[in-house]
Amino acid sequence: MNNELFGKDINVWIDAFIRVNIITIMMTVVVMGLIYLERKAIARFQMRLGPTRTGPMGLLQSVADALKLVAKEDVRPRNADPWIFELAPYFVFVPVFLMFVAIPFAVSWEVRVLDLGLFYVLAVSSVNIVGWVMAGWGSDNRYAMLGALRAAAQSISYELPLVLSMIAIAMVANSLNLSEIVAGQGRIPNIILQPLPFVIFYIAMLAELNRTPFDIPVGESEMVGGPYVEYSGIRWSFFFLAEYASLFILALLASAVFLGGWAWPLGEDWGRWWQFILTGVKAGAMIFSVFWVRSTLPRLRIDQLMTFSWKVLLPLSFIQIMVNGAILVYEPEKEVGQTLLGVTSVFGVFFLAWIINRSVTRPRPRPVVAARGEAVP
Amino acid sequence: MATQVHPDHEFDVQDLMINMGPQHPSTHGVFRMVLVVDGEIVRDVVPYIGYMHRGGEKLAETMDYRQGIGWMDRTEYLAQFNAELSYVMAVEALAELQVPDRAQWIRMILCELNRILSHFMFTGAFGTDVGVFGTAFTYSFREREVIQDLFEEITGDRMMYAYFRPGGLAWEVPDNFVPRVREVLKSVRQGIKDMNGLLTDNEVFRARTVGVGAISAADATDWGCTGPVLRSTGVPLDLRRTEPYLKYDEIDFDVITGTTGDVFERFTCRIGEMWESIRIVEQCLERLEPGPIMPDRMPRMLRTPPGEIYMRTEAPRGEYGIYLVSKGGNRPHRLKIRSSCFANLQALRDMTIGSYVADAVVILGSLDIVLGEVDR
Amino acid sequence: MTTDDGAQQGSESGAAASAALDGTIWPEVDRALAGVTATAEPSVLDVIVWIPRDEIVRGLRALKHDANLKFDYLRSLTCVDNEEEGMDVVYHLYSIEHGYNLTVKAHLPVDDLNLDSATPVWRAANWYEREAAEMFGVRFRGHPDPRTLLMPEDMTDTFPLRKDHPLAEIEVLQGEALAFPSGAGGGGEEE
Repeated sequence: MNNELFGKDINVWIDAFIRVNIITIMMTVVVMGLIYLERKAIARFQMRLGPTRTGPMGLLQSVADALKLVAKEDVRPRNADPWIFELAPYFVFVPVFLMFVAIPFAVSWEVRVLDLGLFYVLAVSSVNIVGWVMAGWGSDNRYAMLGALRAAAQSISYELPLVLSMIAIAMVANSLNLSEIVAGQGRIPNIILQPLPFVIFYIAMLAELNRTPFDIPVGESEMVGGPYVEYSGIRWSFFFLAEYASLFILALLASAVFLGGWAWPLGEDWGRWWQFILTGVKAGAMIFSVFWVRSTLPRLRIDQLMTFSWKVLLPLSFIQIMVNGAILVYEPEKEVGQTLLGVTSVFGVFFLAWIINRSVTRPRPRPVVAARGEAVP
Repeated sequence: MATQVHPDHEFDVQDLMINMGPQHPSTHGVFRMVLVVDGEIVRDVVPYIGYMHRGGEKLAETMDYRQGIGWMDRTEYLAQFNAELSYVMAVEALAELQVPDRAQWIRMILCELNRILSHFMFTGAFGTDVGVFGTAFTYSFREREVIQDLFEEITGDRMMYAYFRPGGLAWEVPDNFVPRVREVLKSVRQGIKDMNGLLTDNEVFRARTVGVGAISAADATDWGCTGPVLRSTGVPLDLRRTEPYLKYDEIDFDVITGTTGDVFERFTCRIGEMWESIRIVEQCLERLEPGPIMPDRMPRMLRTPPGEIYMRTEAPRGEYGIYLVSKGGNRPHRLKIRSSCFANLQALRDMTIGSYVADAVVILGSLDIVLGEVDR
Repeated sequence: MTTDDGAQQGSESGAAASAALDGTIWPEVDRALAGVTATAEPSVLDVIVWIPRDEIVRGLRALKHDANLKFDYLRSLTCVDNEEEGMDVVYHLYSIEHGYNLTVKAHLPVDDLNLDSATPVWRAANWYEREAAEMFGVRFRGHPDPRTLLMPEDMTDTFPLRKDHPLAEIEVLQGEALAFPSGAGGGGEEE
């Protein structure tokens, strides 16, 4: 049982060990880099400078923060449930790293080629909600509890459009293997064939990541941090590590599934490093857009969030799947089929924009609820 | 909290009480409210104030009229000039001082600029309440900083100006006052446009604010609301128009009113007021002429005859009133500060019950409270 | 209405103080307060109407619901401690529709600081009365929520805004500094 790594033939276990280590170390570095970049990017959006003091251009700020967090006291509230409270960060953090196994960076450069890679990634990504609810429940804090319940509701609601948009892609690509999906795209990335699933995926991704405008569970101005309000030090940093790691992974997934991964649309590519750069640039563009949205949009309310998922995104992704099925079942000529897929999906995007424009700006009367108990001013 | 049977469900449920504040990012200082929530719906709100109570009314009784000016800055610390204005006008009315024209025009300019400053503080903080991650805050504070720099050049202080005096102004404004104010106005215009682009026209912002926390005109009047909170319900009560003081009767400006009295209209009313303030300042700058800034003869120690007065002016948040009772001598017998936020905050419960938890924060933010003024 | 003129120019208002009550809204108020023993006196800006404390809520309600006056907006409610002469509870009213101002006062003797609550008339009176109650020790009968407002919950035996409430040492020192007005700063007042 040998495997090829860096052009050498190694035992499969050693190979796995090396790959996992590379991934883990890379992940931590990437997350620190992402935090630095986010701070810098948002600072520029807000006419600030961001970190400047630690290292050249503040480059070491994340390292300093990490050191500070590790050195901090790990506080546990007296009334917290010790096991649940202390295990919660791992339940958030481990699934995110497990997702990494199937993500391809370049031709035959992933931890493992899984035939059900897409399915695996989506399945594992929904496990971390357990950690959020554990954190909220174990903290014995009402903000944490409310935040955790919001997180659970939100994650479950947006899991469905996320998965369904991926199913639409899998139908077009005729595979669940991520490497094959990337390889099958060639010159025409899926975003051109299937823009509506991309938009749905992007929105659902923001919600899955608890990013603005869907940062309802953690909303600082109301829930003051939500599930991790009671956490400090290293455990708190696990939540952040998981958040940025899943941002990175979902951006990679989007770049692989929708943007063509390592494929270079204008001709032959120039080897593995070029493929790495392409994947990185595409993922980076996704990440940057998430930062951009974060610094611009306010936060939605929980009822608007749920309505948007169940009444808008979910039906639209079902419609997309049905349309795809109707087109693909007749096995038309390749060009004809692609044109049909693209055109119908573009219509879907316009339809979605119209719905957002109409429903989000429509004034909603507040629900009539009587006060309970005696009048207390 | 006792377990009680929910009217809509068969099983027993418990109301959750969430304590917001006094340390909470959205309570704008040391305000505390206890939300009784049923899921995400707010069933009841119990506001608690007084964490910043400094006994200012009692302190003002120990200070002479000149010392009291500084105290006014510390009550309404976002619209200091407006607070000072009420106080010095009350003293002037009792002591029968004639304020020179130039001083009145400069007071108007500063008060209106201070209104803009205060409303920028509001837009920034409100943007954060609605959930914009700091961007509204920084863009607002850019303009606030520009105005504050101007105030610093004039008064020598960034927050506690103590610049108005009974009878006029403490000292003459700098020579470049007029061009500097025009510069500031130019920057402020851009700032308001930025705010409109970032918040007013933002669809998510509208989704969060339109129809939220609405209050009827009758309720708002009954609760004693003033300022943008009342005007957004459609009541055109603006003391600058209904009981003109200074030179407001010679100036052309509109009273901005809304119709529905929801959070969005409170926001747009304030945006509209900023444009009106710019108009007022421009007209004031044209009318500004050289001249004295204090009456010719001022007593070395200011004394008032016995009497009482309730002097009210239109501060950014509403009516700022000073009830001054004098029994002769150089200090007030009783000084009551009628704070606009105090009355506006009373209506919070009416606005909030039945809305979502996230809306409670937005509604509180839309009242634009200053705790120094509420607690005094 | 003379009140508007006074409001425009605070310094001209001295004339208004000495002016008689005719030309003010007092005749209207007097008509509206039929059945209530009310007396009036002029003031710098507004007319002051004294109403006996037993009839205060009746008087305030009449003022609010009178069609020609409609004092629907309670500006402010406070107390003035006149030491041995008792306390005055002061209501500042405003009519949004007509633009009228009115000050209503009720006198309380030192030994009986009880008054009917104005909360049934204006809800706005709620917090004002709570504040007046904790600061001056006036008991508002029928108040729906007689808790402390600004003071701590257990601080119900001292009334800080009364004249006999002692000052802190620093405040006393501050008052002594008044004996040296040249040291109090502020150059603008010099001739």
